[in-house]
Amino acid sequence: MFRQGTEPDVRFSLANERTFLAWTRTALALIAGGVALEALALDMYAPLRLAASLVLIITGILLPVIAWVEWSRVERAMRLGRPLPQPPTGIVLAVAVVASGVLVLLAVLR
Amino acid sequence: MSDRSDGSSAGSSWSGPFDAGLQLERTSLSWRRTALSIAVGSLVSLRLLPLWLGGAQWVLPGMVGLVAASILWRVSRRRHHAFMADVESGRAPGAAGAGALLALATGVAAVGMLGLAAVLAVAI
Repeated sequence: MFRQGTEPDVRFSLANERTFLAWTRTALALIAGGVALEALALDMYAPLRLAASLVLIITGILLPVIAWVEWSRVERAMRLGRPLPQPPTGIVLAVAVVASGVLVLLAVLR
Repeated sequence: MSDRSDGSSAGSSWSGPFDAGLQLERTSLSWRRTALSIAVGSLVSLRLLPLWLGGAQWVLPGMVGLVAASILWRVSRRRHHAFMADVESGRAPGAAGAGALLALATGVAAVGMLGLAAVLAVAI
């Protein structure tokens, strides 16, 4: 895949690789949380609980794909000596966690 | 400067203190943590899914997950040994390729889709 540019210091590629792995672990945690929310049938208003669960699981599905695209973009930028792109993964995670937290709070209060 | 088996040559020489910055160890640990996360999730699924969804066939996702985790663990070990061998002989180690990482990303996304299907099947 990467035949263009010059090979970066392997340490930078390894750091990029570790970042991607960390995001896949985060995605697994979100999926587990979303499934547990429904599977454990926790006592709260069911439609909002389902909404919170779906937010978590869908984010868990999207994050590995986004993280892989970011890994590719960073590798390419390092090879071509360009500035590193800004990854959206952090914002996606923050929005998902806040949204599902608010939904759970509303579900508990209702 | 040594040439690697895929025809590319390392742009940097791997000199200095052994595993300076502990990058190799941290990368190996990161892969192992990923394998463990998959293993733990699989064990929980093994326990939870048959009870929640009903039926013995729901042990399958957990078992597949445990197999995947053990494969990932063994790959991590092999790669760690390759790292150590590379550094001892003065070669630069290799980073993982795009294909392997895409396979992992797809696998995790597939787990998510399975979870989504299960949640929707029960809720609706």
